[in-house]
Amino acid sequence: MSIRVIASPVRASLARPCLGLRAIRSSIPTHGVAVRHLGIPPLIAQPPGGIVGTVNDAAKVPPPEKVHGSYHWTFERLIAIGLIPLTVAPFISDAALAPAIDSVLVTTTLVHSYFGLQSCIIDYIPKREFGKVHDACMWLLLGGTIVTGYGFYKYETEDIGLSGTIAKVWKA
Amino acid sequence: MVTMVVKRGGRLTGLQRDVLNLYRSCLRAIRKKPPESRNNFLIFTRRQFEQHRAISKSDFTTIEYLLRRGRHQLETYSNNGVRNVAI
Amino acid sequence: MNSCRTSLATTSSAIAGSVRRSMMSSTLRAPMVASLRSMATATSEPARPASTPRMKKLKIYRWNPDEPSSKPYMQDFEVDLNECGPMMLDAILKIKNEQDATLTLRRSCREGICGSCAMNINGTNTLACLCRIDTDLTQTTKVYPLPHMFVVKDLVPDLTQFYKQYKSIKPYLQRADYPADGKETLQSIEDRKKLDGLYECILCACCSTSCPSYWWNQSEYLGPAILLQTYRWLADSRDHATEERKLALQNSMSLYRCHTIMNCSRTCPKGLNPGLAIAKIKKSMAL
Repeated sequence: MSIRVIASPVRASLARPCLGLRAIRSSIPTHGVAVRHLGIPPLIAQPPGGIVGTVNDAAKVPPPEKVHGSYHWTFERLIAIGLIPLTVAPFISDAALAPAIDSVLVTTTLVHSYFGLQSCIIDYIPKREFGKVHDACMWLLLGGTIVTGYGFYKYETEDIGLSGTIAKVWKA
Repeated sequence: MVTMVVKRGGRLTGLQRDVLNLYRSCLRAIRKKPPESRNNFLIFTRRQFEQHRAISKSDFTTIEYLLRRGRHQLETYSNNGVRNVAI
Repeated sequence: MNSCRTSLATTSSAIAGSVRRSMMSSTLRAPMVASLRSMATATSEPARPASTPRMKKLKIYRWNPDEPSSKPYMQDFEVDLNECGPMMLDAILKIKNEQDATLTLRRSCREGICGSCAMNINGTNTLACLCRIDTDLTQTTKVYPLPHMFVVKDLVPDLTQFYKQYKSIKPYLQRADYPADGKETLQSIEDRKKLDGLYECILCACCSTSCPSYWWNQSEYLGPAILLQTYRWLADSRDHATEERKLALQNSMSLYRCHTIMNCSRTCPKGLNPGLAIAKIKKSMAL
């Protein structure tokens, strides 16, 4: 059995609209056949209610990984805080400094949005349920971020750059 | 617990396999009970499954619910403290 | 209790009683003081003639596990507010006593101490015993079980995973040595004050089941209630397992699925702030 209907009526979901990929996928009644035709690996079957073991066992504590835990969070916050002065900087700084500030601003914004979207993927396409689809999404995000970064690099070096564009739009 | 229309040579759906697995583990659990009460447990198990024989094969949510409940029941009744069952 | 409260409702002693009762609950829930007082004055109006019943419509979620193939549905009930206590729990128990004895719900203390009667009333997770009946008779009040949990029957959700998660944080004092005199482990008044706003949690699961992050990742994310409890033990000066407790949260799921949505703090029927507790854990773990 490949797909379990997650939004089952036994859950208190009566008259509540179900949103999200899982609800859409789980509404496919053919038990994964339709999904498999699209080449997407089927959902990994979950224990009902996420309950593993008997009712008297404690839930399992995952192994500690600081890179995904506190270090990740701290870095994420530093980036977010760093963005505040960086967004103001281009308005008050000298035009000669524009490329330098631009590059820092673009990098931070990209890392910031990378973390944001990564969070979305962990939330809505969890590895526990989606397995390889989760990994694929993570690689796609990384690829997308790098491509965007390269695009901005080209834009900054060969064109007017980010602050130049904003200045132009501002005047127009 | 669920209608088992087993086609000869036909493949079972995943859900049907789950139900059969549950039934099998029930039978296994019965073997650990005292010999004099095993028959009671067997009758009880059969009744629990046959009670819901009429449920449609495509009623996934119901079958899944019953599987969940069945597994929970199995866990409870597997306890060594449970020596006999009255029907 | 129910009938006694109703029969008193027309006498002046009951007015004093209800004021006293609301004063008691106002210490429980400071932000609600104003509304409770106004409710109390409302009851001190001259009693309406018994001939005009104030029928309040209720829609209650029903699902019976003994008929597993039938779908859950909403059942309509009507309760005369003149003959009913002021709280939602009174109304639901009145229905259970007088109209439909099969209506199933958990309840125990009827005063917001046990956390049994947590349910979703008019879209908000709350304790039925602390939730006043909306006296606007034109409005229908809807009652659901706690959202996004498996339902055992009617208004009873399956909280197995919630309790298993609570067990996983080891919610007890952990230390290698205890005082030599064999008496209790002492704590300064300042250290004790750090536990205010944490120890009051009754684990009713209102906050956890209101959290979208918990809806999506229930099996891995601990949820606000359990994280509040984790912080309760992290903040306890008598507990020496701080590092182990923090290490158990060092992964992307257990703690960091909290995106400060703050539904938890908004819904908490005891007026606690799980969102703040989670933020404090994150802060103490950073750097």
